[in-house]
Amino acid sequence: MSGQKPKVAFFDFTGCEGCQLNKLNFENELLDLLELVDIVEFREAMDGKADYYDIAFIEGGISTPQCIERIHDIRRRCGVMVALGQCAVSGGINAMKNLHPSEWVQEAVYGEDKYLFPSIPAQPVSAIVNVDYEVRGCPMSAPEYLHVFKSLILGRKPEIKDYAVCVECKLKENECVLDKGMFCLGPITRAGCEAICPSNGQYCTGCRGPVSNINRDGAVDMLKKHGYSTEEALKRMKMFNTNEIDKEIKWGR
Amino acid sequence: MENVVYEKKDLYYPVMSDILSVETLTAMEKRFQIAMPENQPLNHKPGQFVEVSLFGFGEAPISICSSPTRSPNFELTVRATGRLTDKMHMLEAGSRLGIRGPFGHGFDVDVFKGKDVLFVAGGIGLAPLKSLIDYTLDKREDFNKVKIIYGTKNPAEILFPKAIEEWRQKDDVEFDMTVDRADKSWKGNVGVITTIIPPLQLDVENTVVAVCGPPVMYRFVLMALKAKRIPDDNIYISLERRMKCGVGKCGHCQINDVYVCQDGPVFHYPHVKSLEEAI
Amino acid sequence: MNQKLNNINEMKCQFLDENATYDFLKFLKGRSKVFAPHRKGEASYIYDEVSDVKDVVLQYPRTIQPLKKYFLPPRETLLSFNIDENNFTESEINVEPRIFFGIHAYEMEGVMRLDYTFEQGQPESNYLTRREQSTFIGISYEPDEYHFSKSLGIDIDSVDGFSLYFKKTDNGYYVYEIDAAGQQLMKEFGKGKRVDIPVTKEEPEFTNKIKYHYNRLPQIFEHVYDSKVWEEVAERCVGCGTCNLLCPTCYCFDVRDEVEINATEGKRERFWDGCMLNPFAEVAGNENFREKLSSRTRHRLYRKFKYITNKSGELHCVGCGRCSKYCPADISITKIINNLIDDYADRQQKQVI
Repeated sequence: MSGQKPKVAFFDFTGCEGCQLNKLNFENELLDLLELVDIVEFREAMDGKADYYDIAFIEGGISTPQCIERIHDIRRRCGVMVALGQCAVSGGINAMKNLHPSEWVQEAVYGEDKYLFPSIPAQPVSAIVNVDYEVRGCPMSAPEYLHVFKSLILGRKPEIKDYAVCVECKLKENECVLDKGMFCLGPITRAGCEAICPSNGQYCTGCRGPVSNINRDGAVDMLKKHGYSTEEALKRMKMFNTNEIDKEIKWGR
Repeated sequence: MENVVYEKKDLYYPVMSDILSVETLTAMEKRFQIAMPENQPLNHKPGQFVEVSLFGFGEAPISICSSPTRSPNFELTVRATGRLTDKMHMLEAGSRLGIRGPFGHGFDVDVFKGKDVLFVAGGIGLAPLKSLIDYTLDKREDFNKVKIIYGTKNPAEILFPKAIEEWRQKDDVEFDMTVDRADKSWKGNVGVITTIIPPLQLDVENTVVAVCGPPVMYRFVLMALKAKRIPDDNIYISLERRMKCGVGKCGHCQINDVYVCQDGPVFHYPHVKSLEEAI
Repeated sequence: MNQKLNNINEMKCQFLDENATYDFLKFLKGRSKVFAPHRKGEASYIYDEVSDVKDVVLQYPRTIQPLKKYFLPPRETLLSFNIDENNFTESEINVEPRIFFGIHAYEMEGVMRLDYTFEQGQPESNYLTRREQSTFIGISYEPDEYHFSKSLGIDIDSVDGFSLYFKKTDNGYYVYEIDAAGQQLMKEFGKGKRVDIPVTKEEPEFTNKIKYHYNRLPQIFEHVYDSKVWEEVAERCVGCGTCNLLCPTCYCFDVRDEVEINATEGKRERFWDGCMLNPFAEVAGNENFREKLSSRTRHRLYRKFKYITNKSGELHCVGCGRCSKYCPADISITKIINNLIDDYADRQQKQVI
């Protein structure tokens, strides 16, 4: 690499900021990463600045009219846009609200003040603007984030894994979570997390979204065989991925 | 196992080679002239490929577009479509890249000798065929009539305008081409490649055909050739798959029971005709 | 198809009780690295290097990963590179003597199938180097509802490939010396008690079976390419790839370059891959030549029973049952094959009518 360091900015949309926090967990790599780039914006301090960024990382999903305006503005001012974490990639856990009427949701959250807080169905960033790359997961998967980051510094397309968490789990020779009698979405969830949950005694919650070309009915049948009803299976599959699993829901474009 | 004798040559180490020149052909394609260490010839056959390697960017199979008659250096025509090829487009003369190969089964030139030869190229498919075209032209007396037809999306994507001009000028080569969509400057044929097959005057029994193009093209070209009553036995096609290792191990390029990197990329059409996953 | 080197019923053997068996493991450990089955988690087993022989499990149904992990590691560095200097260093593969203890017959057959793969055509030194200096000591097992190797001509007591074979008996093991290396080991160990009369013992029954004799399978596969069975399987399959990854004879791989955080140094690594995975047969332009799960399943089975078999003369399924045991959707390979046989038989009958 020669010449100027790439200018990198982070922007926060609707999310819990868990992804933000997860970044600070790379104790070993954080300083090395900072060596390679100029971080120009961390968090929200962007109002009115008409700057240009080589890489814009977007955290959180789109859930208000202001979000839409702001994401368009960032898109105009950045080279590469990366959606960071499941809220930005698919709407994430926020999209569960899309299963209910908007009015009902707003009232449940804000009560009488519901009209003060305009809200729209939770959508991925890619529903509004063109997104170049994605780092999936809730919170975003650390190994994938590092991979994407390094790839962009190197000036190459990141390798996005489009196969199941089972693959990474089997490469580690973990005992199968389903075999242990636990629930698991590993067989249909996108790899890239290095099967962190099944490797640490947890089950896969599907936080990275389904693999493409998914056999949805087969997945429900599979979970039924392991003792989960269709409703329970779908509910769990939708938890992080309402927009991807529930094809009936349209958020328009 | 004790009795097994094998060569301790690692299959996966590239040979670092020099880029002698880079030529921009279209917005998407560049041509690289490459020299192996100490100008060793690559010793390839027309239709074979190499695995090009750039550290950090991986490897990709690329067809050799130059004829072995024009050794020792060789040429690759590369479309920027992926991790490696995007990076390749950023390289200049003097850069180095890794080469493994040549791999695969190329065109069996002896089959073409003494015959009329028809080349059918679609899009970037002209690149692998150019290796055989140049070979044929360099050993012109070994072959009977030579016809080349070429189809591309639009005039801006014409790959080798200089070579095409030469082919047009030659008395002993018949050349025709078409574009799917014309622009204002275009005065030639408009339409897909199959529209320029019917008018060809062919001695069908004595014509051997070499076809290369994008996956979608084969079915239609093969139908058009059938309509011209070209026997399947006279057709050779070059197929594209994601050949990762080049040595018949990784499994990615397998079509039914054939490995494209070993049994192909050039196939005798009857060999793959019945393979569902081939065309 | 399977030529048996030895029939152990005609061989003399020695007896080791369970304690002596563990002593034998200690003896082996004194000579070289020893790898054997260990417990993993609640009810699973894996091959691992023996550090305390007491941790070795002698009787187990199967391990999660097959033995191939030692010769074709799940993740392997092919070369290390430096981007700034644009050069690479070859990866060193260290060979040292290794003893693999407690190996089931189907597993040994699996290794021999992989040997074929990596020896034929352009031999691959990465695999073959790792494969050198390996000694295999077999052990008998009780087949469970997933094992079906007998249907493929691999008996529990098939000893091809082993140096020694341990056959379970009431309070210990009958130990058979299969080759000179095995003979030497037993001689040096010296604690075996000679059993002078050949031992004959009924093999336990396999409950999981293929309907037809294995010799007929390649012929069946000539006729079932268009069977409806593939679609039926595809309805239930979620394409997770577990069956590929844990198969002792699957060897397909992917190669990826990964760089260090300094964006200068890096490694070219290969990983196990599988034809059941969606991106496996993708080419440029997002074209996927085996997009449907039915065609992917078909490809997987054809590679076990026809494609490679046509060249090697051996079936490339060894009946370990891993693909079925670990399939999250409960898809059984024997059911697929038996359904294919039924479909074939039905169609044959219709032709006669």
